[in-house]
Amino acid sequence: MNSAPPGSQFAIEVRNLTREYATRSFFGTVNKVTKALDGIDFSVNKGELFGLIGPNGAGKTTTVKILTTLLTQTGGEAYILGLDVRKDLYEIRRRIGIVFGGERGLYNRVSALDNLRYFSDLYGVDPTVSKMRIPQLLKVVGLADRAEERVEKYSRGMKQRLHIAKALVHDPELLVLDEPTIGLDPGGARDIRNMIREMQKEGKTILLTTHYMFEAEELCQRVAVISKGKIVALDTPSELKRLVRDISVVELRTYGATSDYVEALKRLPNVVRVVADLDSEVQTIRIQSPLGADLLPQVTSALPSDAKIIDRTIKEPTLEDAYLRLVEE
Amino acid sequence: MGALAEITPGKKVEGYLARRGQVLKACIVLTAKLFFADPQWIVPSIIAPFIFTLVAFFLFGGQASTGSFLLYLVLGSGLMGMWGTTIYGSSNSIGFDRWNGTMESTLAAPVPLSWIALGRVLFNTFEGVINALFILVIGLAWFQVGFGVVNPGLFFLASLSTFLSLSAFGLLMCTIILLSRKGGFITNSMEIPVYIATGTMFPVSILPIVALPFAFLLAPTWGIEAIRLSALPGYAGLATNYWSDLAILALETLAYLGLAFFLFKRVEAYAKRNGTLDEY
Repeated sequence: MNSAPPGSQFAIEVRNLTREYATRSFFGTVNKVTKALDGIDFSVNKGELFGLIGPNGAGKTTTVKILTTLLTQTGGEAYILGLDVRKDLYEIRRRIGIVFGGERGLYNRVSALDNLRYFSDLYGVDPTVSKMRIPQLLKVVGLADRAEERVEKYSRGMKQRLHIAKALVHDPELLVLDEPTIGLDPGGARDIRNMIREMQKEGKTILLTTHYMFEAEELCQRVAVISKGKIVALDTPSELKRLVRDISVVELRTYGATSDYVEALKRLPNVVRVVADLDSEVQTIRIQSPLGADLLPQVTSALPSDAKIIDRTIKEPTLEDAYLRLVEE
Repeated sequence: MGALAEITPGKKVEGYLARRGQVLKACIVLTAKLFFADPQWIVPSIIAPFIFTLVAFFLFGGQASTGSFLLYLVLGSGLMGMWGTTIYGSSNSIGFDRWNGTMESTLAAPVPLSWIALGRVLFNTFEGVINALFILVIGLAWFQVGFGVVNPGLFFLASLSTFLSLSAFGLLMCTIILLSRKGGFITNSMEIPVYIATGTMFPVSILPIVALPFAFLLAPTWGIEAIRLSALPGYAGLATNYWSDLAILALETLAYLGLAFFLFKRVEAYAKRNGTLDEY
């Protein structure tokens, strides 16, 4: 008989987790109940890099907030390192590190050193240890030479690297990274991804939420896709990609393509889905279709006369293609 | 990156008091750094005290013929400054994190929020001491008020006790801000009633009887009495004595602290249930 407490064999264990938000009237009566999480289940192994992906409003942030003890669930159970998120919040907080994406979470008017000293003290790190540990961490994240500058002078990428140092300041066993590369330029995002890999190599368990499918595919051992408060798929990126093995992807780089062209492509027979980035001077359009290269003549003939295809490639479907199918179903 | 493995392991501080002391120190130091990093600190700490003192002197100018009455005014103005800074500071202690986007990081720390807020309120009340000292300096230098304190030792003890009682009161105010981002409206609206009820500028004895229970429940009322008894020769005030004032002050301060810690626990749990903690 297994006498281990719930969740102790996993770094994270979530069972039938539910969170409802009630909108109340002025008199306190409940007007509307919204289910942000609808009974989700998943577990993360110790030392695993696990991804949680989903569209905005799918329930990723709610899950992260519950797991980091910032929000109480309305149903179900969640365990971090074998500890109950409802009962053992201070012990859990001592043993996890959190990276919030974007500009949140730092004191901009003081230096990186001041930020790390403050959080180091809040997390109870021995001051004699933090005197050594903080400069070492700043060196690791490449901020040692600007440690005494006010954070408000930092670029977005530098702030995000400081976030990583902040999350590591108390030497946590588990890291929760909530959209850590959001808004970063490609170089900055690559630096953060390298740091994430490094942290995993050192044995840290990592829960990563991201909007970027290639990031989840590149980094995560397993990925859970969450949509409308439910987990709609959970597997390795390669297994998830098998969901779309019946299609190929025609990727076009175009000049002068408009939304009308994208709509025309969507209307073509055998086109499953079209995803387009029209914001740049050179547009990228991905067309999912079982026809693969055989679709090219139709794609070319639908092109308006003032637009041009610069480049066309037939690609294997990616995690993003699988994800789109899962969340749109 | 690299070299993560070579970083010194993060050994933790052991012991309840050592941990709480570390948190208080960290919060006081950070709040001080943030305070002086913003050049606007000159407004509440130098310009506002000057205006307070000026108003008080013009208000009572004709009657302020004796040195002890002038000192009475200076002490009252100083306490008004201290209270004003405390009330705004206590709102700011938690409110700052809301608009700065650091609320989640603060809440995620493995320490009760009440201790983080206490550290911040202690510094914010200390800002009030800076404010009061400026008023004293302005009174002494500009208005030629003599600083002939009757008993400097007791004056210091009463001032320190008042400082602690204001901090405890500020912590209590913090729970309102924690409950709702609109809480600042409530705490800020308490500024003037507390000036009046605690007798900073007018003796409490002239207040209508219905207002007296409110005045007596405010610890600063007893702090101000004790300060004046130790500073002003022949001061009668509420006809109490120094030590009884200090005893009531201590009891009320402890009650504020107990209530604040209890409310923090309840309000934090409530806000976690309702998902309102990090709204800003």
